[in-house]
Amino acid sequence: MSCIGYSQATQDSTKIYKKRVLETVEVDIISSFYAQDGDNAAVTGGIGTEKLTDLATSITISIPLNDNDVFTLDGTISAYSSASSSNTNPFGGDDDDDEGNYSANAISFGSPWIVSSGASKSDVWFNGDIGYSHSSDDRNSVAGANISFAKEYDYTSFGLGGSFAKLFNEKNTEISAKANVYIDSWQPIYPVELKTYLERNQNLNAGFFNGINIYNQNGVAIDKNGTTVWSPLKLSLIDTKSRNTYSLSLGFSQILSKRAQFSVFLDLVQQNGWLANPMQRVYFTDRANYYIGNPISIPNYTSSSNKDVFQLADDIERMPQTRFKVPVGLRFNYYINELVTIRTYYRYYYDDWGITSHTASIELPVKISDKFTLYPTYRYYIQTAADYFAPYEQLFSTDEFYTSDYDLSKFDANQFGFGISYTDIFTKGKIWKLGLKNVDLKYSSYKRNTGLSAGIISAGVKFVME
Amino acid sequence: MIKKLSLLVLIGSLTSCVAVKEYEKVYLNDPDMILASKNAHKFETSFQVYREGSAGANGGKSGGGCGCN
Repeated sequence: MSCIGYSQATQDSTKIYKKRVLETVEVDIISSFYAQDGDNAAVTGGIGTEKLTDLATSITISIPLNDNDVFTLDGTISAYSSASSSNTNPFGGDDDDDEGNYSANAISFGSPWIVSSGASKSDVWFNGDIGYSHSSDDRNSVAGANISFAKEYDYTSFGLGGSFAKLFNEKNTEISAKANVYIDSWQPIYPVELKTYLERNQNLNAGFFNGINIYNQNGVAIDKNGTTVWSPLKLSLIDTKSRNTYSLSLGFSQILSKRAQFSVFLDLVQQNGWLANPMQRVYFTDRANYYIGNPISIPNYTSSSNKDVFQLADDIERMPQTRFKVPVGLRFNYYINELVTIRTYYRYYYDDWGITSHTASIELPVKISDKFTLYPTYRYYIQTAADYFAPYEQLFSTDEFYTSDYDLSKFDANQFGFGISYTDIFTKGKIWKLGLKNVDLKYSSYKRNTGLSAGIISAGVKFVME
Repeated sequence: MIKKLSLLVLIGSLTSCVAVKEYEKVYLNDPDMILASKNAHKFETSFQVYREGSAGANGGKSGGGCGCN
């Protein structure tokens, strides 16, 4: 029995026993259901429903090629439905307006507070990752490489990475380095009124503007052929579709005692390209407001009771085309006794957009039997606002960069979670040739002081091939 | 902050003069002692990356691959 998991090599007359890096094929299946709601949708300029649901599943298969090498395949699919992104086109019909077949009768008058029927209300994100790792015979060095591909409706990503880890001091100390490059590109979706305006040569009587009244702040229909009309701030949208990320992650981990160990991670991340989201609107305080829909609802525009009037965008959000990020993370775990372990994490984050943040979390796994562990968790997060953030109608058109995305605002968030895990190292439970090794189930509730609330249920199952 | 972390690393390195032997690592090898977030929390980390202005330094991705952060 003790020979299981060991391979035998013969070198001259000396027999060397070497533990395999991975004993057998392992299959990890992870699924989650996420739901959120809030009143600060970025697509509608910082107000409006943020209702969103997402169902995601990933399958990871790790295959030992020999004693030292492991090949990993990972596939992830994530399908979301979002009220906010549906309002890329709040007027119904074809998101792209490529056919030019809008008519007054076809348009439904939306608002930031209701879900539009536009195609962008849902999307699927797919990610595939192939990895390979090689461990040295003494198991003190591990080198790895991976390639990845990700695709969603308006975004494509190619990734390439390499890593190296070195253990020494009787495997009490580990240093590691990992480098990744992501060559990404937008296939941008724009707010439909901006896209139509530019495609129709600034003609307010073409596309879905044809036959539709545009109202000013007082609810009076403007003369669309006059001089005081709605027009976006800029006559160009994005000027590059690329969005590249280069990251270097350095790690150090150390065993402190028979019961304590910690690790430190330092990431250096440089991003270049179009780093703003092309579908997110902004509204300036120093420009006149114009609406499509029911003019009676204009005074209640920012109230969720507004169901039938929509404000035409002043512009899309615009951000610098570079961003440098430096997160530093620290983990410390302590084995208190056979029942309780304490797991802690802290992260400090800085970037040159003006965001600094602190993240602290604690997890207390409590073993209630030899197979079951309960683990309550708590996470606190606080960040400063990006230099370019201001709420709805508080941005200035004279600024170079601007956003009303509340993910970049000043806020703090509390997250409470509770999980249960089942582990059977002997894998007695069987499905076909797969032995059940671990099941993990967790629910977390997340609340931000800006009003956004979210919940996520995660489930993970690990099988090993018999 | 960087200075404090450097000090911690230094303390850790000094402590490492007394190495814990392989046969003494039974507690350290407990699955709950792994110095990483659990696999099953992969999507929880993803939503935090989407909903917050910061990411990274957790052993996983720190940007790229999505239009999120």
